[in-house]
Amino acid sequence: MIVNWLAHDHRRGDSPIHRLPAWSKLGVGLVLITGSVAVPPLWHGWFIGVGLVLGLVTVLSQLPLLFLLKRLLLLSPFVFGVALVNAFQPGAVMEWRFLVLRSFLCLLTVVLVSNTTPFSHVLRVLRAVRMPTLLITTLALMHRYLFVLVEEAGRMQRARASRSFVPNRSARWQTLATVASQLFVRASERAERIYDAMCARGWK
Amino acid sequence: MKPVIEVNHLSCTYHDGTRALCEVSFQVAEGECVGLLGPNGSGKSTLLLHLNGLLPEQPTSDGAVRIHGQPVTDTNLLEVRRQVGLLFQDPDDQLFCATVAEDVAFGPVQLGLRGAALEERIDHCLARVGLTGFGHRATHHLSHGEKRRACLAGVLACEPSVLVLDEPTSDLDPRGRREFKALLREIPATKLIATHDLEMVVELCSRVIILDQGRVVAQGPTADLLGDEPLMLAHGLERPHILQHRHPHVLRPGPTA
Repeated sequence: MIVNWLAHDHRRGDSPIHRLPAWSKLGVGLVLITGSVAVPPLWHGWFIGVGLVLGLVTVLSQLPLLFLLKRLLLLSPFVFGVALVNAFQPGAVMEWRFLVLRSFLCLLTVVLVSNTTPFSHVLRVLRAVRMPTLLITTLALMHRYLFVLVEEAGRMQRARASRSFVPNRSARWQTLATVASQLFVRASERAERIYDAMCARGWK
Repeated sequence: MKPVIEVNHLSCTYHDGTRALCEVSFQVAEGECVGLLGPNGSGKSTLLLHLNGLLPEQPTSDGAVRIHGQPVTDTNLLEVRRQVGLLFQDPDDQLFCATVAEDVAFGPVQLGLRGAALEERIDHCLARVGLTGFGHRATHHLSHGEKRRACLAGVLACEPSVLVLDEPTSDLDPRGRREFKALLREIPATKLIATHDLEMVVELCSRVIILDQGRVVAQGPTADLLGDEPLMLAHGLERPHILQHRHPHVLRPGPTA
């Protein structure tokens, strides 16, 4: 179930990496990602260095490898899509390989930082660096209700499955569309109720 | 006694033409605990939203709803919301922050509380609802009962003088219901509880208001109304089990239990 892939808060570990302050992890993560995107492909030393750092962090963080691979797999379709387009460009064989390498390092950094830092700590850092409040509120609400929406979709999916007796591909797509539209309507109505709940406690 | 909530000829029609409330009038005195009963769709939740100034979208100054004698208008909306704590029916609507502590702090932060005073308020409110040590927990990983209590802590953190609760014990298991009722009993604020939990009404409320199709069809002492089986059945309710096994004279709950 996709919600299990998203639920990193359950993995509240107590490794040395988990104990590091959020700002340091975000800072180092930002440097690694910016560097991996910006350095020329010939700087092999950089990529090897970043690879070693991320390998060390992976070991120290005590995150299960299978879990990390699942997370990477979840995020990789975008990377593979871009790499695939690049692969068919004339004379771009090396380029797509580097593109995959850069993306892999960036994704691994993101996965490691996000799974060793509670989201509320990330928001605290963003607040400290004076990111606009509206953006922080949007991020906080998105993170909070992502789980509610996924669970709601799961319940609707189960309800659909329990009354789907005949395998029919077109009917299945039709029902899926109905579920998606219902989910949209419910999310919109929930958004209104959440806004009311915020106003009820003095939101201006 | 001084009325804290006054509703006079309140009517409400939704955009789609549904008449939700029609000439609703009642009062709730200071310290009273009143039950708001009625079948599904009778207008209970709509009525509660009016008491917090969330409906109508553009508050009027006609004085249809008065809190502590003041009509709910655009100018005093924030003060009304500070005075009236509203507990929503679905805890997931109300717990919109990432952690329990952040959610409890939401109201006090809006009121300008910061630093040690804020921390103290959070700890106090969590302790009050029996959630000491839950501050760091993610709100989406709480059980339903814990979510309910976290919601109540968030409401209490604004120190309201009136508590308006929308089906506070729905979806709770018997132990959760019992614990939540005990919590409510300890809160001295004026309370208006919309619910289908008639046993809770018998235990906590001295008076009930019955709403049906947007109209107040009856209001009076709990034992009198809930013991009137034809009235209850006529409005989609039933005589609570607890009344059938007690001597009617024993059942006279205090003004606020």
